[in-house]
Amino acid sequence: MTPGQAATLGAVVDTIVPADDYPSGTEAGVLDYLAGQFGRDLADLRAYYGAGLDAVEAEARERHGAGFPELPPGRREELLRALESGDTRVPWPFDAAAFVETVVGHVMEGFYGDPGNGGNHDAVSWRMIGFEVGD
Amino acid sequence: MRGTGLMRVDAVVIGSGAGGGVAAAVLAEAGKHVLVLERGRDLTFEEIGRDHLRNHRLTRYPHRSGPDYEDGPRVVVDATGGEKVVRPHEPGFHGNATLVGGGTRLYGAQAWRFLPADFTMASTYGVPAGSSLADWPIGYDDLEPYYERAEWEIGVCGDHAAGSRHWRRARPYPMSPLPEGLQAAALRRGAAALGWDVLPVPLLINSVPYGGRAACTRCQHCVGFACPADAKNGSHNTVLSRALATGRARLLPEAVAERLECDPSGRVTGVRWVDRSGARHVAEAEVVICAAGAIETARLLQNSPTRREPHGLGNNHDQVGRHLQGHAYAWALGEMDEPVHDGLGPGVSLATLDFVHYNDGVIGGAMLADEFTVLPLAFWARNLPPGLPRWGARNKQYMRDNYRRVMRVGGPVQEIPNPEARTRLDPQVRDRWGIPVARLSGATHPESLRTGDFIAGRAREWLLASGARRAWAARAPLTLHAGQHQSGTCRMGDDERTSVVDRWGRVHGHDNLYVADASVHVTNGGVNPVLTVMALAFRTAERLCADW
Repeated sequence: MTPGQAATLGAVVDTIVPADDYPSGTEAGVLDYLAGQFGRDLADLRAYYGAGLDAVEAEARERHGAGFPELPPGRREELLRALESGDTRVPWPFDAAAFVETVVGHVMEGFYGDPGNGGNHDAVSWRMIGFEVGD
Repeated sequence: MRGTGLMRVDAVVIGSGAGGGVAAAVLAEAGKHVLVLERGRDLTFEEIGRDHLRNHRLTRYPHRSGPDYEDGPRVVVDATGGEKVVRPHEPGFHGNATLVGGGTRLYGAQAWRFLPADFTMASTYGVPAGSSLADWPIGYDDLEPYYERAEWEIGVCGDHAAGSRHWRRARPYPMSPLPEGLQAAALRRGAAALGWDVLPVPLLINSVPYGGRAACTRCQHCVGFACPADAKNGSHNTVLSRALATGRARLLPEAVAERLECDPSGRVTGVRWVDRSGARHVAEAEVVICAAGAIETARLLQNSPTRREPHGLGNNHDQVGRHLQGHAYAWALGEMDEPVHDGLGPGVSLATLDFVHYNDGVIGGAMLADEFTVLPLAFWARNLPPGLPRWGARNKQYMRDNYRRVMRVGGPVQEIPNPEARTRLDPQVRDRWGIPVARLSGATHPESLRTGDFIAGRAREWLLASGARRAWAARAPLTLHAGQHQSGTCRMGDDERTSVVDRWGRVHGHDNLYVADASVHVTNGGVNPVLTVMALAFRTAERLCADW
């Protein structure tokens, strides 16, 4: 993954799980989860992610003249919602809506999954919702 | 013994789950030498783990507790004839946990007896066009003593008095139910308001120390996981242990039954099996008992053709693999005014049996109960209201505000079987050992979904009466429902033209070949089926020993 793609990915993750009183997706370790999965179950999806993130970046430049990570949160959300509904402005190598849906699923795995999978640091999302696990 | 290529035993049992474990115990305790072949691994609690992405409740990646990704796929044929190759963790595979103990190692352990009318579906409701709805050749009273054995020898907690309207029983449950929590309290209020009858869900779980093992610690990783306290009673820690303790039983994990061996007259003489390395072995036996689950048992019989039975053992009337069914679950979700999640497992607690039978305008019905503790990711995937964004600030806020409030009520809708819902051998695709894989096709009968709609309506009604500020439901799809409750592929009957095994579980036309899993179920009840699998296995194995 290029530095540019990594920056876009971080911004996408934090658009899917934004910070509030509780940490955002990246703050809770979703990128650590994804890094682990790109070496494991999602190894075959690395190129898919790269191409999709490039397309998200191109959409941001086409629509707003700025990169996705530079956009204010509201604009980022608006853009991903548009892609989710199939509204694209640049050529995509595959279905944009399916890409968003795929990434959302993986982000939620990293955020709400067990900490043993590398995300959800200190079970922060579980504390947030009230899923308390003893020994 | 491995690598010697040949062994000789009194009986081979294929599968170490609910039926296989019981059969092995009964035979070994009757003095028989038994070999249990289990295709899965013998896994520890740590190896099974508490992985929220790889368990039999929520499967997003290949299983940690079998079937292994590498073992091979199945082929699924859809309504338009389109074929898809599916891996064990993917939707449509219709698998069950594959390890020593089978599904019982990880199950939720609901311990229901079928209701008397579950054995007489056809005479109670008639036979809808296109269905193969039929009565069982045996009834509740035939099975009652064996239900009792399963309850006491494996270990069930429950309230026999609360269920006395539904079942005639000779003995109470050996253990009283687990204490009730917030979900049950809310549902009791709702049922009282509606005038519905409720009872604690009977569970194959120790509410007190039992059988030399501890009581449930109320952890929240029950269904889909192994028990940290060894308080969940399955094949592995009850009947299988008993079988091994006799010194006359051997359990071989990672041993895949490939084919039943027969002599030139077509009589079964043993089992050909494959070890992890791919080496072939033969176990010769007087008797063979198939308990590999409805799909794998059918696959094994179909993969054992002889001159006398060219389409597989017991399959001269094209019945093996047909009538495949499980349960078409009907659910509703309710967003309660007050939190109902109290962090106490297993989570499932209170049921009503008021709608299992005799509902106006539909066939059969289902038991309704609350849900096992929901993993956070599963809650996100399945329990959010329609219309809520799947991500973003509102989604995160909803999870935070309502994880402890949203409650699911649902139940296993008794399916109306049909002959086109079936498993066959795929003509092309092979598993890692070169054995033809299962090819699944067909769907449940539309009547099952009509019943499901009715049941989902009752679930919604119960939630609203219990304090839900809103409730929603979704329709079960017109698809195959097999999975963890798979059954029906070697149905029991007196007529060999319309069934595969006789009323004792013996394959028609064979004197030494038996089926002791849910394959034999003519219909699958409106409740979880595992106690029935165990009871039938006790009955089949006891009769087999009496004649032997």
